[in-house]
Amino acid sequence: MRPVLSVHEVTKKFHQVVANDRVSFDVMPGEIHCLLGENGAGKSTIAECIYGFHRPDGGTISVRSKELDLRSPSDAIRSGIGMVHQHFVLVPSMTVLENIVIGTEVATAILDMREAAERIAEICRRYNVEMDLNSRVSALTVGQQQWVEIVKALFLGAEILIMDEPTAVLTPQESRRLFAIFREMCESGMSIILISHKLDEVMQSDRVTVLRKGKKVGTVETRASSKSELTNMMVGREIDLGAPRPRGVIGSPMIELHGLCAQGDLGTPALNGMTLTVHRGEIVGIAGVAGNGQKELFETLTGVRKATDGRVVFDGKEVTNHSPRDIQKAGMGHIPDDRFSEGLVPDFDIQSNLILGAQREPAFSKMGFLRFDAIRQFARDSIEAFAIKAPSAQTACRTLSGGNAQKVIVAREFAQSTKAILANQPSRGLDIGVIEYMHGRLTDKRDENFAILIASEELDELRSLADRIVVIFKGQIVGEFRHDAVDLERIGLLMAGHTGEAAAKTSVGEA
Amino acid sequence: MGIVIEKRLTPSISWQVASILLALLASFIISALLLKSAGADLGKAGAALWDGAFGGWRATWKTLVKATPLMLTGVAAAVAFRARIWNIGAEGQLYAGAIFAYWVSLMVGSLPALFLVPLLFAAGAVGGSLYGGLAGYLRARFEVSEVLSTVMLNYIVLYFLSFMLTNPWRDPSSFFQQSPKVVDNSLLPNLMPGTKLHMGFLVALAVVVIVHLVMTRSSLGYEIRAVGLNEKAARFKGIDVKWVTMVVMLISGGIAGIAGVTEVFGVQGRLNPGISVGFGFIGIIIAVLALLNPVAIVFVAILIGGSINGGIKLQVATGVPSTLIDAIQAIILLFYLAAAVLARYKFRIVSNG
Ligand SMILES: Nc1ncnc2c1ncn2[C@@H]1O[C@H](COP(=O)(O)OP(=O)(O)OP(=O)(O)O)[C@@H](O)[C@H]1O
Ligand SMILES: [Mg+2]
Repeated sequence: MRPVLSVHEVTKKFHQVVANDRVSFDVMPGEIHCLLGENGAGKSTIAECIYGFHRPDGGTISVRSKELDLRSPSDAIRSGIGMVHQHFVLVPSMTVLENIVIGTEVATAILDMREAAERIAEICRRYNVEMDLNSRVSALTVGQQQWVEIVKALFLGAEILIMDEPTAVLTPQESRRLFAIFREMCESGMSIILISHKLDEVMQSDRVTVLRKGKKVGTVETRASSKSELTNMMVGREIDLGAPRPRGVIGSPMIELHGLCAQGDLGTPALNGMTLTVHRGEIVGIAGVAGNGQKELFETLTGVRKATDGRVVFDGKEVTNHSPRDIQKAGMGHIPDDRFSEGLVPDFDIQSNLILGAQREPAFSKMGFLRFDAIRQFARDSIEAFAIKAPSAQTACRTLSGGNAQKVIVAREFAQSTKAILANQPSRGLDIGVIEYMHGRLTDKRDENFAILIASEELDELRSLADRIVVIFKGQIVGEFRHDAVDLERIGLLMAGHTGEAAAKTSVGEA
Repeated sequence: MGIVIEKRLTPSISWQVASILLALLASFIISALLLKSAGADLGKAGAALWDGAFGGWRATWKTLVKATPLMLTGVAAAVAFRARIWNIGAEGQLYAGAIFAYWVSLMVGSLPALFLVPLLFAAGAVGGSLYGGLAGYLRARFEVSEVLSTVMLNYIVLYFLSFMLTNPWRDPSSFFQQSPKVVDNSLLPNLMPGTKLHMGFLVALAVVVIVHLVMTRSSLGYEIRAVGLNEKAARFKGIDVKWVTMVVMLISGGIAGIAGVTEVFGVQGRLNPGISVGFGFIGIIIAVLALLNPVAIVFVAILIGGSINGGIKLQVATGVPSTLIDAIQAIILLFYLAAAVLARYKFRIVSNG
């Protein structure tokens, strides 16, 4: 069989950074081809070269043995290449239908919306996707927006679909569905290039190409490989995130929530009387499908969102509805889940982002002016301590890969907090090496008597890290498990809202 | 064949310069056609334009005088825009500063110049600051769009001035709506004998330098930039966005208010409704053209100040109607603005197939 897409010796440089160094791989018709690699290995960059978004400095890209001269994404679309980006590019104020047809030939010719709507409905029927074409994108969940992006690519006639970390924002159920649909697409002759850090997903592909520091390490048949072999190719050593960790001594209460209530962005109740205590020297994991109040919980704790009822006590002091600044000063650090919009100022450089929130602290400012020598020194130390991969401390965070951006936030929050750390989906989109590193750091903080609260959809992560796991569903804690009495199956049921039958069993786990 | 327009990820300096030159060329051609249609001699018109702007020392000093309020209003707009606060009210804040400083000069006009002049600058800053702060307060407290409030406040201050000049402050010996001459010791000291260059020019330069330092090196400047670039992250990290909004409007209004002082006590010598010929609005354009960079604002302000003076000379020399000069000036500004946008995109010709 001839490959449908051949990438040959592609090189892409950003100034002195070589993001791709003579990368070659083939994609066969009907294949799911995975790109695997550490954060910053160059996966998004090679994908964006194929999609015509970046222009390679060398090498060729061909579709069905015909060399392409890609100057923009529209050239790629004409050659049957579609892409769903790591960060979505939909227009929130427009309807689903408008978002799918804007920028297409259909829109530039006389707009025949009715015909377009019919074709879109046909695509949705074929893949069993339910979608209201007339609702506004702003009213959709991230998961639904993902489907809009995919349908848009199909509508544009994609035969080769590039998905850059599609499941990072999906619930486990949604991502299972996504994979079932990928299979159907492949059976009808399409090919899929998938970028993912989740090894469980990678194992469902046909072949895997591993990148490391911009270079290709090799391409393997997934069936003939294993998770540990892939990890080894990717980071050069074996990593087992599930390995049990030493437990510490749990102290007195640090963060106490009493019947906390808060509203979501749309004014609907998001926290419905949440009661929870996190102690000194304890890591509490919140298991739950994203969107069940985790975000609102962290925002209410840090003072960014108003509590409508209930109380928050931090280190013995009432901090309900105190300002974010006061709560930070009291020693609470926060790693939000949306890195680029909530955790960073993307257009600031690394050193500026590292002092965000501390710009008036005596360490970094004197008589109202910033102490640049101290800031540079702090940035150099953080970059070294957290192994942030960037040309310099003056690099704009916008150009960092997802993993390195996360390290900047983690480095900052670790430095600024003195008593507690809250982290919402901290390992989302991170490579296995960085996750291991971050877990190690969080454990260190716990041993320094910090109270740590982590929300994650990855139960394995919580199981190895947390001293206690609580399950969140619709803004309430519906179950609680000590680390030595964790029952993943029950947690799964509770996460899905099966409170009745699971609750009976939970009481056994509580000791 | 088709043309593809794409946003540039990184701005290119050479393309930026090229697009400004392109804008200049295009505006020259259009202006030439307009002048031609009005029956003017193009060679004579061009010479007059240059003459009025930078032809010789005298013209150059005059241009610097014109550039003085423009530098201030440009910086006033830039400070606000950096925080993504759309202060369209520099014009009104300029008048508020002028009115307040004039009132102070009436109260304490007997002070020696050494004390009076600095006091007047401070009064202008306070007047503009309070007026800008009002819009800031409305936005921070009641979420009133500052675009609407500042535009409306522009009108209110003009009517207030008109009221004051109709009765309480009117010069009884004058036919025009204007105040009597201000006292001599309140006039801004002249920098160069035989020219009109006054101390306000140096004050404007100092303001530019201070603003530049504050924006790039201070904690406050850091907070202003953070709010402008990502308000959400700034809020999450404890920066009080409402407080920053307030402070920015106070600073921006204060700077515009100083421009009122330079015009009343440096140029006109009295308070009248014509102390600004749209300086507040031209300042917005200058800030955008200079990409909000205070140092670049100095140069753009001088260029635009020159073209205003050149336009006046051109009108005298060729006798074309003054409305035509206004039109030409508007065209030049429009093309400049187009150039500023143009610089952020790239164009390619592609063949379909
Ligand atoms: N526009 C840009 N300007 C400068 N450097 C860039 C730019 N885009 C990417 N880079 C650099 O290129 C390298 C590869 O980045 P890329 O985004 O392809 O990584 P990735 O493999 O997708 O990582 P992740 O898994 O974290 O998404 C990184 O070092 C990044 O900092
Ligand atoms: Mg990526």
